[in-house]
Amino acid sequence: MCRPGKLEGVDVKAVMVYLDRCYGCLTCSLACAAAHSASGTITGAMRERVPGRILVEAAGKQPVPILCRHCDDAPCVNACMIGAMQQDPVTGLVSNEGHTQACAGCWMCIMACPYGAIVQAPRGERMALKCDGCRGRETPACVMACPNGALAYVEVDDFAGERRLKLAFCLAEDMTRDSRAYGG
Amino acid sequence: MGKKRYVIIGNGAAAIRAAETLRALDESGCITMVSREQGPAYSRCMLPAFLAGEKNEDDLRIRAGDFYEKHGIKTLFGSRAVDVDAGRRCVVLEGGSRVDYDSLLIATGSSTAFPAIKGLEGPGLFGLRDLSDARKILDVAGRGRRAVILGAGLVGLEAAVALARRGMEVTVVEKMPHLLPRQLDPAAAEILRRDLDGVGLRMIMGTGVQEAAAPESSGAGAVWDLLLDNGEHLRAEMVIAATGIRPNVDPVLGTGMRINRGITVDGRMRTSIPEIYAAGDVAETRDVITGVRMLTPTWLHASLQGMIAAWNMAGRPRLYPEPVGIQNVVQLHRVPVLALGVSNPQDASCEVIAIHRPAENLYRKLVLKDGALVGAILAGDIRMAGILAALMRRKADVSGFKDLILSGDFHCGYLARTG
Ligand SMILES: Cc1cc2nc3c(=O)[nH]c(=O)nc-3n(C[C@H](O)[C@H](O)[C@H](O)COP(=O)(O)OP(=O)(O)OC[C@H]3O[C@@H](n4cnc5c(N)ncnc54)[C@H](O)[C@@H]3O)c2cc1C
Repeated sequence: MCRPGKLEGVDVKAVMVYLDRCYGCLTCSLACAAAHSASGTITGAMRERVPGRILVEAAGKQPVPILCRHCDDAPCVNACMIGAMQQDPVTGLVSNEGHTQACAGCWMCIMACPYGAIVQAPRGERMALKCDGCRGRETPACVMACPNGALAYVEVDDFAGERRLKLAFCLAEDMTRDSRAYGG
Repeated sequence: MGKKRYVIIGNGAAAIRAAETLRALDESGCITMVSREQGPAYSRCMLPAFLAGEKNEDDLRIRAGDFYEKHGIKTLFGSRAVDVDAGRRCVVLEGGSRVDYDSLLIATGSSTAFPAIKGLEGPGLFGLRDLSDARKILDVAGRGRRAVILGAGLVGLEAAVALARRGMEVTVVEKMPHLLPRQLDPAAAEILRRDLDGVGLRMIMGTGVQEAAAPESSGAGAVWDLLLDNGEHLRAEMVIAATGIRPNVDPVLGTGMRINRGITVDGRMRTSIPEIYAAGDVAETRDVITGVRMLTPTWLHASLQGMIAAWNMAGRPRLYPEPVGIQNVVQLHRVPVLALGVSNPQDASCEVIAIHRPAENLYRKLVLKDGALVGAILAGDIRMAGILAALMRRKADVSGFKDLILSGDFHCGYLARTG
């Protein structure tokens, strides 16, 4: 499916989750926190109390990493009443940071995200936090850190093929286009 | 065929989303936006923050400064559309000039519906919809010390908190017995009321205004006198009406278009007249939960509808994904509160389950019908709201895990399947 503005010949990549390889070690979440902390380290992130933007939740015995799918026509983008949540037309990344408009912490995106992948900043700060795709990094910190290969950074086109084989997650499929899925 | 001419009446949430989507789908089409207001698109939702002095006018903009130029959009701002000639396919502006269209979007939003109260007319009476309203309110706020807000709905409470933050003495008068009567129930409203104790508002619930006496003049010292149903008199330099809205259907009244409360649209945002679409506060859509046509006067619905309208206008058929019609979230002070769908069911066949821990400002209420979620109220902890809305929309049978949802430990991982 085309995204308006998507450039021909530019590879768009996304994080793919292989549930059967996830043991719930939380390394991804810690690495994410580190990547978004001032110090850049896990201990620093803990000291600064920076939360991870990839969550690992237990569904019965199965740990499930929960992270933003960077959907096209993302509900959070439509919900954002200040225009802070935008999708980059080239990379496809959806983020509420780095734009002219600053996040106002109205929580509309939290209400809109069918994956529960957006959280409130800690300590009452009026700011919504979500995966920003680790802009500026070749590979997102969570993918780099995962010791079991449960997270992979793959091109979306490959991904679509993969998804057909291992379709997993369907809560929001008819709401968004091209929402990146989970595989098992 | 030459370049397609798209005309959008409006420059708000729905209009902007439509314009940028049109440009993405049709590189060469001519896009014209007509708005009665001057200046670039801004967020009405942020007007309370502007009133409170936390944001300036530039901060309210929803797109970068070069938006119109970058997207090649012709703007006719400061011009009001007064009529649409559907036969000749043109929009008539105040002053008589005409703008031809091949495809037209009505995204005119809504206006304050002032309550019919005897004597409620005169200087110092405002609604809060437009930047111009907010500027006028600030002007009087500079001279006066007291404000009365009519209505404890979302706009009323946001205005009240904003003016209190400026140091005004604010009284909220609400006919219904609790705050946010359309969204909350008494338990959630009580948590919100206690949260607002930290702001310092006076709230008079369960009482209406019987009669109003406007100030004689508009200058300094002009004071309103409101007589309440309970006999009390309230005196204030300004009165803000926040008791309801009215969709701005005026420009299409002469077209014979099907209008109920708002303009009725189909799943592709088409009105009853060919090549005319409507989106946002002015449009009426079908609610996925109740099946009833309703206004959905919120930002989320307006932008989604604008986007869907644009796809169809550009000749790329696409259906409105029918999100839950009522979706509100607000954090006025410390505690976020959120309401989805049918949060106060009248239907006795609905099952209601709730967790209520007022000491922790926590409330979670789920409304189920035939095993599916149809409504919810969350106070204090709003983490999984989006998943609830998605489950509601899909009419998923949640009877097997409703207690897990109620506990607050539910997350989308439970819905992931492998294989
Ligand atoms: C104080 C306040 C707080 C709010 N807070 C929230 C919130 O927290 N969350 C939420 O979801 N929603 C909130 N809303 C509602 C939200 O702002 C609206 O639902 C949304 O703006 C609707 O978008 P729209 O595009 O339909 O209309 P609008 O944004 O109202 O835009 C309408 C446009 O049409 C133009 N126009 C109207 N008539 C004409 C005419 N005849 N000719 C030419 N131009 C015309 C106007 O100038 C304007 O540009 C709030 C609203 C207010 C007023």
